[in-house]
Amino acid sequence: MKLRSSLFAVLRSNSALSSATNFPNVPNSALSTQISSNSQLPSTAECSRPWRSTACEFLDNLRFPSRVFCSRSAEASDLKPGCWNCGAVAPTSVVFLVCDSCRSIQPVDQSVDYFQIFGLEKEYEIGDVNLESKYKDWQKKLHPDLVHSKSDKEREYAAEQSARVIDAYRTLSKPLSRAIYILKLEGVDVDEEDTISEPELLNEIMEIREAVEEASGSQELNQIQSQMQEKLIHWSNTFAKALRNRNFNDAVLSVQRMTYYERVKEEITKKL
Amino acid sequence: MAEPIYTVASDSETTGEEKTTSTFPEIAVGIDIGTSQCSIAVWNGSQVELLKNTRNQKIMRSYVTFKDETPSGGVSNELSHEYDMLSGAAIFNMKRLIGRVDTDPVVRASKSLPFLVQTLDIGVRPFVAALVNNVWRSTTPEEVLAIFIVELKVMAEYQLKRPIRNVVLTIPVSFSRFQLTRVERACAMAGLQVRLMPEPTAVALLYAQQQQQAVHEGMGSGSEKIALIFNMGAGYCDVAVSAVGGGVSQIRALAGSPIGGEDLLQNTMKYLLPNSESIFSHRGIDEIRRMGLLRVVTQDAIHKLSYQSSVQIDVNLGNGSKLRKVLSREEFEMVNSKVFEKCENLIKQCLHDARVGTEDLSDVVVVGGCSYIPKIRNLLMEISKKKALHEGIDPLEAAVSGAALEGAIASGIGDPFGSLDLLSIQVTPLAIGIRADGNSFIPIIPKNTTMPARKELVFTTVQDNQSEALIVVYEGEETRAEENHLLGYFKIIGIPPAPKGIPEITICMDIDSSNMLRVLAWATLPGGQHPATPYMEVKMPTVDDGHGWCAEALHGKYGATMELVTLRKKG
Repeated sequence: MKLRSSLFAVLRSNSALSSATNFPNVPNSALSTQISSNSQLPSTAECSRPWRSTACEFLDNLRFPSRVFCSRSAEASDLKPGCWNCGAVAPTSVVFLVCDSCRSIQPVDQSVDYFQIFGLEKEYEIGDVNLESKYKDWQKKLHPDLVHSKSDKEREYAAEQSARVIDAYRTLSKPLSRAIYILKLEGVDVDEEDTISEPELLNEIMEIREAVEEASGSQELNQIQSQMQEKLIHWSNTFAKALRNRNFNDAVLSVQRMTYYERVKEEITKKL
Repeated sequence: MAEPIYTVASDSETTGEEKTTSTFPEIAVGIDIGTSQCSIAVWNGSQVELLKNTRNQKIMRSYVTFKDETPSGGVSNELSHEYDMLSGAAIFNMKRLIGRVDTDPVVRASKSLPFLVQTLDIGVRPFVAALVNNVWRSTTPEEVLAIFIVELKVMAEYQLKRPIRNVVLTIPVSFSRFQLTRVERACAMAGLQVRLMPEPTAVALLYAQQQQQAVHEGMGSGSEKIALIFNMGAGYCDVAVSAVGGGVSQIRALAGSPIGGEDLLQNTMKYLLPNSESIFSHRGIDEIRRMGLLRVVTQDAIHKLSYQSSVQIDVNLGNGSKLRKVLSREEFEMVNSKVFEKCENLIKQCLHDARVGTEDLSDVVVVGGCSYIPKIRNLLMEISKKKALHEGIDPLEAAVSGAALEGAIASGIGDPFGSLDLLSIQVTPLAIGIRADGNSFIPIIPKNTTMPARKELVFTTVQDNQSEALIVVYEGEETRAEENHLLGYFKIIGIPPAPKGIPEITICMDIDSSNMLRVLAWATLPGGQHPATPYMEVKMPTVDDGHGWCAEALHGKYGATMELVTLRKKG
């Protein structure tokens, strides 16, 4: 049982097309595809974005709606210091997604990370910050539905910004995807294949799998579920500690563990 | 009211291509065409208002009669008696037929309606006809819908004294994208640009507005609330879970099925008159009249059972056959236990997909014609572990009001009082994917993905040196490909020669902010920079009416020669 996490692919790839070099071809089953699509990890959508920088140009030529996500005007070189519409100067204290003066939506600035969008420090432990309400505040300013009467250009900015805020929200709201994201910002690659070589974890995986398969009812499954939850909390704490000490090796190991326990939880939820 | 002029364009008129982007703020209009009832609402600048017809009705019947030379619908027409609707000349329940082929069980169930629904069971559009002067006159579900819409449009234009070009129309959650194109065509025939909104999401938006209003008036806490929305009308049952706060409704999950009051009615009719199907199979004028009679009586009984525990049925069906029976609420619930079970499953599935436990639910909102049925209300209270359901939302006006709100938000209408500080964030109601790994449906954009969305998956070949692959796009939730809704198909050609399992065929799907679905496909070899052949970009759906045939025909012609399997990238 492996997990197809496209984020990993993104971490390594310069472009989606050339990235394929690194990946041996392993046929996938329908089941694991479904698992991957339901997994706790960030979706493929956000993963396709980083390759836009390279893939954009030909997609632009194709007139594929990728322009929605990667309009050329949004490239860093085109970014102006102020609002594209009214010229107002961008405030330094907050991220500049919308102009305060004229309410125009600004092009995506890839240098702004997800934590900045939510006004957070780049830290794994975010406490009980209300991400949802901040997410909604942004959507009320950025959502494409709200700018139907505006120019095509601004509607594209809206689609891009709105999609990015969705990704940011989804990534930060779950501990596992948040952990992977913060490692990515640190330039650390997570390779889940190493996980399986760890005999201790291998044993544990076997045991849990057996327990799930043999579980006779929802009560037992619920019990395993809460065990997984405990393990997740434990490894989440381990991750936080490792990150604080900048021990990326341990951090990656913790992420691999968390990935596995999350997947067991998913499977149990399906059975319940 | 002036004599309405019907300007229904031809059925072959193209849709969607000529979207006018007029910059002046329009009047915001919402329309709800239900299986049995329809209504229209406008945003008057400070609130939503339902328009009334000349008979002072806000909720009008969804039917068209073909009695006279010009067809007329339930908006302008007045029936001298309920039975008139059941004489064979009136066509209704079109929402259950639109965009469905004649192998669809919902279409087959519609054959007991008191007009002609003819099926050939080969996957083509059913033949629908009204009885006019002893002649079966053909029509189409699109034409009938277009007539309602024109009537509503003419009525609104007359009252508002201005032309209407854009509307928000509510649709069931379970409608496939193919069905949406049929609804869009009906609107185009009526001369309208339309934005489609799943019914429970419109209700959720209305709920969000009410919550926001309560905050403004200092009544509500303004905190995040999770609402379960249950909407069941005559034709469809839809469920949504929405996280509402700050005037924003973020849909967490949707679930829907074509079950509704019509099924309750038909099951009860069969129970009351077990041999009804054989009695009515000939479709003579007399049979249709008797079928209509039984329908009216049963409908009336079901309505009464919402308020009393039993009802006396006493009807003379002619030909010496009389029906006298006391129908109890228990019997009604027993006869329809499968329908209620399905409702229960939909609710549970939606809560599960939304990852919401009953303890997280702030409110349970129940709307639609079936919301008065005690069994439905009890079911919702049981599942949600609530002692009471949310009040303050009119069950019959909720969807249309939400649609008008959505229209107002999207139109950029000036909002000096901040009462439109609202937003509805939608998710995909069904998964979209392709056929691969044999006959499996492999979702690429999963169900309940926030829109706009863009996702991709990589596939590979099943034959050595396979140069072509057939991409068959489906929408739905079933694991077997053909049990889902076919949206279209195309061939990807020029796959570089290589052993099976090596080429990488990327299928990318994109839903933009106007809900347009595009599929992009390209083939490369591992390490290849750019594909050898041009990319394929296909706007979906591409299927037309005879699509029941297509998938089978494709499979028969190509077998496994052009198949794909999913390819998993390491790490």
